[in-house]
Amino acid sequence: MKKEEALLRLLEKYSVETKTPINIAYGWSLLNKQLQKNDVPLLTWRANRKFIELHKIVSGDTIENVCMLRFCSFGGKKWSLDALMYKEFDLCEYLGGGKIVSLHAVLNERLAGNIIVKLDNGIIGSVEVSVQAQPEEKLLDRHEIIARRGVASDLVTDTQISQSSIYTYTNTGASKYKDVDYELFGLNELEVEYIRSAFEVYKEPSQITKLQNQHAHLSVLVKAAFESNFKKQKIEIK
Amino acid sequence: MKPVKIAISSLTHGHTRKYFQTLHENPKLEWVAVSAESDKVRDVFLKSGYNVPCYMDEKEMLDAHPDIEAVVMASANNRHIHQFREYTQRGIHILCMKIPTFDMEEYDEIIRLVEESGIVCQIELEMHYNPVVERVKKLLAREVLGTISGFNATNITLSPVWAFPWQGVPEESYGKRIPLCEGNKRFRGGALSDHPHVFDMIRWLTNSEFDYIYAEVGPNLRTDIEVEDILLVNGKMKNGVSFLFDPSWSRLEERLEVPGPGWEIYPKRMEVNFSVSGEKGVMLADCFGPNVYHNGAPNDRYTVQYTYFDEWIGMMDEFIYCIRNKDNPKINLKWHKKTIEAMNACYESIYSGQPIYL
Repeated sequence: MKKEEALLRLLEKYSVETKTPINIAYGWSLLNKQLQKNDVPLLTWRANRKFIELHKIVSGDTIENVCMLRFCSFGGKKWSLDALMYKEFDLCEYLGGGKIVSLHAVLNERLAGNIIVKLDNGIIGSVEVSVQAQPEEKLLDRHEIIARRGVASDLVTDTQISQSSIYTYTNTGASKYKDVDYELFGLNELEVEYIRSAFEVYKEPSQITKLQNQHAHLSVLVKAAFESNFKKQKIEIK
Repeated sequence: MKPVKIAISSLTHGHTRKYFQTLHENPKLEWVAVSAESDKVRDVFLKSGYNVPCYMDEKEMLDAHPDIEAVVMASANNRHIHQFREYTQRGIHILCMKIPTFDMEEYDEIIRLVEESGIVCQIELEMHYNPVVERVKKLLAREVLGTISGFNATNITLSPVWAFPWQGVPEESYGKRIPLCEGNKRFRGGALSDHPHVFDMIRWLTNSEFDYIYAEVGPNLRTDIEVEDILLVNGKMKNGVSFLFDPSWSRLEERLEVPGPGWEIYPKRMEVNFSVSGEKGVMLADCFGPNVYHNGAPNDRYTVQYTYFDEWIGMMDEFIYCIRNKDNPKINLKWHKKTIEAMNACYESIYSGQPIYL
């Protein structure tokens, strides 16, 4: 099942109208492009259940007084450093509940980077990104939120990589599977979050302006990271 | 398609809350009413914020809303037979909780009532709509493991008895007060009665029926309840697959009257895991993982926060489809009867101390 087909099926199932013509796309794919009025940059990860739950843990005060974020995202060659920074900067703001006001980035030839960010609520965060991971299909990531009361994470304690739901060890080797959505069964986690976030836009078109504004802000942050690396300086975000 | 007008009855079952969002959001359903069996469950429902009329008398609800087409029967096991008699007489379709009854004469009466009335009756075995189970099913169908030799499954949870007291009352959970074995002061109706999924899943996934079954109870973790909370089950399927199940309430809980954050003492309050061994290799599956984790409020304990629980969406989709298309759900009364017989065989095995052939 293709993404577009699955999205249409979901929209039809929940009787969501699609009268307004919009052009939905991964937010990072619109970096360095002039947005048209009907371009909708999706922040797809915000529709991923693990980030929804981490967001709830912070916004619902399950952990209190966040002080630091420790995020990383390692992808293969089909990813770009820009895209990974775009995503992780947005997650810093979404999970940290603030806006990035400064950053200091140390990058290496668009292959890897280590960035320290500071949010307007005082939270600091580290963002590690790389496009040198193998295999290329999956992102290896970690999102740890450290607070005065409690720590939240998408990695189970004492592990270094995300777990899968199923592992097989057979005469053809080892395989793993992670299926996260019965309604969208057959699609991988990144495809599911794309469809879920697009569905939300069609359901609530009022969020389009917010998405466009956040995209503009994230574009500034990604640009600032390269500027910081070039100038070897902390960049204040205006 | 015209939405199905649906109600929830009783509100005393532990899964009740799972239906609220699905009934509210699914455009093919029109949630018209609920009935509550006690002031306590009514108050919990009213706090949930859904603008649905709540009746303290089930018949009053049905009389006030003669257009109700279907009901989620969210009640204690011993209430089911009475509700089946009422609903079938009114021609109301039924989504029944996972144990229609342990009394096989009652079970046959329920089948007869449903067949004579022509209603749709689906059993709530939500694991069939779990994406991990769906993948396991596809992998086994592709014979990734070849011929299966062994199938192990857990359905381990905390005990719901403090929030849903009927689950600790033998007459309400099992339907009768029967000692686990001679001289034992505990009775049927505990963890085993709460956990049919593993018995159902092995039948579904191996496409075979139980040959014989053996069960052993351990000493209770909770010494102040009168039903079993620790047990193990093993045996063989007719196709030769050996199995081992753990359907225990082996995760301790805070004794909350309303489930909520901090209910669990052990980090993961509920797991359904499979490990399957076959001629080409092995498979390990966690049907409710991975998730996210924290050690925050309310108890500052390391806790699993689940990231998906969408089984009820697919299950209700099938229920609606069957109602509108006069179809038979895959988990229907006749299919489920053999699962209940296997669970009863476990209790018989515990009583006799020997395996039971089915």
